[in-house]
Amino acid sequence: MSISPGGRIVVDGSPVTFEAGDSVAVAILRGGEVPGRGGTLCLAGDCGNCLAQVDGVAYLRTCQTAARPGLRVARHPAGVMPALPVAAVTDLTSTPLPATVALHHLETDVAVIGGGSSGRAAAAEAERTGKSVRVLDAHDGDEVVAIYAGPTIVVRTDHGMLHVHAHEIVVATGAAEIHPVVPGNRLAGIVTARAAEKLRAAGVDMGRLVPVNGDLVRFEGEDGHVRSVVTQDATTGAQTTTPADTVAVGLGLAPRDLLARMADPVPVIVVGDAATDQPLPPPPTEGVICGCMGTTVADLVDAWDRGYTELELLKRSSQACLGPCQGGACLPNVRSWIAAKTGQVPDPFTARPASRQITLAEASAETYVDAFRKTPLHDEHLAAGARMDRFGGWWRPWHYGDAVSEYWAVREGVSIGDVSTLGKLVVSGPDVVELLERLYPCTVSDIKPGRSRYALLLNERGHVMDDGMILRDSEMRFVLSFTSGSAANAEMWIRDWIDVWGLRVHVLDRTMSLAAINVTGPLASALLQRAGLADTPRFLGHVRADVAGVPCHVMRLSFTGEAAFELHHPVDRSIELWRALLALGDDMGVRPHGLQALFGLRLEKGHVIVGMDTELDTTPRRLGMDWAVRMEKPRFIGRASLERTAKLPDDRRWVGFTMPGPAPVEGAPIWAGGEVVGNVTGSWESPLLGRALMLGWLRRTPFPTEVEIDGRAAVVTPTPFYDPEGHRARA
Amino acid sequence: MPELDRLHGLRVVADPDALDAARWQGGDITVLRLAPDDVFAIAATGVDIDDEHAIVESEPGFAGAWLPVETVAHHLEWPLPTERPALAQGAIAQVPARVWLRDDGDALLITAAAYADELASRFR
Repeated sequence: MSISPGGRIVVDGSPVTFEAGDSVAVAILRGGEVPGRGGTLCLAGDCGNCLAQVDGVAYLRTCQTAARPGLRVARHPAGVMPALPVAAVTDLTSTPLPATVALHHLETDVAVIGGGSSGRAAAAEAERTGKSVRVLDAHDGDEVVAIYAGPTIVVRTDHGMLHVHAHEIVVATGAAEIHPVVPGNRLAGIVTARAAEKLRAAGVDMGRLVPVNGDLVRFEGEDGHVRSVVTQDATTGAQTTTPADTVAVGLGLAPRDLLARMADPVPVIVVGDAATDQPLPPPPTEGVICGCMGTTVADLVDAWDRGYTELELLKRSSQACLGPCQGGACLPNVRSWIAAKTGQVPDPFTARPASRQITLAEASAETYVDAFRKTPLHDEHLAAGARMDRFGGWWRPWHYGDAVSEYWAVREGVSIGDVSTLGKLVVSGPDVVELLERLYPCTVSDIKPGRSRYALLLNERGHVMDDGMILRDSEMRFVLSFTSGSAANAEMWIRDWIDVWGLRVHVLDRTMSLAAINVTGPLASALLQRAGLADTPRFLGHVRADVAGVPCHVMRLSFTGEAAFELHHPVDRSIELWRALLALGDDMGVRPHGLQALFGLRLEKGHVIVGMDTELDTTPRRLGMDWAVRMEKPRFIGRASLERTAKLPDDRRWVGFTMPGPAPVEGAPIWAGGEVVGNVTGSWESPLLGRALMLGWLRRTPFPTEVEIDGRAAVVTPTPFYDPEGHRARA
Repeated sequence: MPELDRLHGLRVVADPDALDAARWQGGDITVLRLAPDDVFAIAATGVDIDDEHAIVESEPGFAGAWLPVETVAHHLEWPLPTERPALAQGAIAQVPARVWLRDDGDALLITAAAYADELASRFR
């Protein structure tokens, strides 16, 4: 603890004076109040009886928190756990939460937890052998809260969190004092013997102080504070009532071994009092046994009578030892109580991190959510009012404020979309055709340079892994595209097979080097002509050409159902191209579209989104995409499985549904005959068709033609829902 | 927070032997061997390479910043190589990244430009 020379803290709104060296708890006691809401105070960090909210952080041990001027303390409400603080974040998708707690790392040969006599001796011994040593002691500002495999010791310090990576760990945490369990033990004014010594040394006025070392019967009091203590003569049985303002109880010690019990299976050396077996206290018969959770001895009896007759079960059933101190105060009494019942002393339970209540910011110090990539157009989207969301490992525009208008721009005019996230691989080499013929279930050798083909990617079990385009540049060079989240996996997959087959093919992942803009809609060709592309490629063709002065690989395909051209271009030219297209198409009403509109557009066409519509065992047949598989090919990955599963009954189908009214939530169950027969994978209330369109799975045979979704009647409907002949995409 | 600037150069995937013997064009070139068959040559403008199927592309997809090696090391959960120069690759501040370690103690922190903002924000 860092020490302040003295001053005032604010406790429940009132100023309280503290002196140099005071903890918050001692300062409050010096002011004539109690830091918690009653119960025995140990002032050693073992119990939960001094927990309070300090500067907005709840569950802090005030006996371990140094007082400093201006500190604001709010005592926890009586009888209940305080609410956890909730961060005021309006949109968790927009901005990652800032990391506010620093994390430091320390490598050392030996870490000694505890700076008492045993700890100092262990440290000195290690230093004598030439080892580097770090002593971690809460009084020096190093509060150990956890030990993890590694091993890593997690330490809270005044300067943030510290992770100590030590080759050896010595636990020298000493012993804790036994807490009394008798009627009246939740009154304020009860302290342990050591706590009384600390208060006396600090000059705190404790009034009439009565020491008690055993033979305790009960505490008596009024207004929540102890007024007398009743003891019993062990020989005669005579009871004596002694008036008191403070009772100091000295009932013995128990190993403070929480961290040692937490460390398993990390090997630690436990020394000193932490390693010394101590006699258990007498079994309690009445009173609150777990101050944190309010568990009484009667609660233990009740749980025992219901059959919870082991320590772990009794703990869970009665909640004893489950509070903030993790049994630091009550475990010896609980073990004693069980021993009296069974005749055997149960071993202490395994402790779990953290031994102290730490904040989420401390727990997550310098850890991060997965890193999500930004396309080069990220700031353009934000400037256009986009609501960004995470999708396939990227930040992507979900919409720009009006997804329906974006939809109509595609269907009736022209729109641009950022598809930079698509996976893009270049493959080249003398064996490249052989490679692709083996990888893909479609034919590849007949794709002419300048042409392309849609393809599924299957695994050995014939299940759909991904889909995309195969574009042929030349005899021995191709460009492959993949879904946004799959480029890295696809690259690994392809490289593995190249190695397995010993083929001569080079692979280069261009996903983050090339951006891509999709220009789509009936006016797309006209816009591209304005941008200098005089001859747009025909459907499934691709060319390399400058568009608005930017070198592009122009690919003619369609996911939206309208004419569409993907312009793949260097990432450092993307903003220039995006702005040029918006400017050139201004009088055409060009506007960007986000994912929400794109998903609706694709749904009208019945296009699959691998990963969203598919499951881990989705086959082309189940998707209704047998047309994408050429079983006459002698060899491709998944072929043997498809041949085998083709002989099995067709028990699952991905189909279209329609119904009047709004679209149901994606994932909605599909009902037929009173049972769930499938689920919706995509839904959209079509502005053009005026009804809810859905794609989803049927998993019951015979496949029903009439179902119920979202409490409404829906019918199975062939896809595509829109332009089934595909005229518009080819226009 | 470091400013990660876009790096320009050539990306070449080719036979390892051909890459070993490649003749690079341009000034002040730093050749980073990302894999046995994969090179990012910062500032290179051309290459002569003996592999007719080599993939040679202009590479605008990386961003980088020069930093003291200690600054980079603070964000690592793995040990940096001790030899110099060296290229190390892995998670840096939990972002896929690379670090080019020069003889003089400085380090070029490199990541895909798509990660640049995220990585820079983690170096606060």
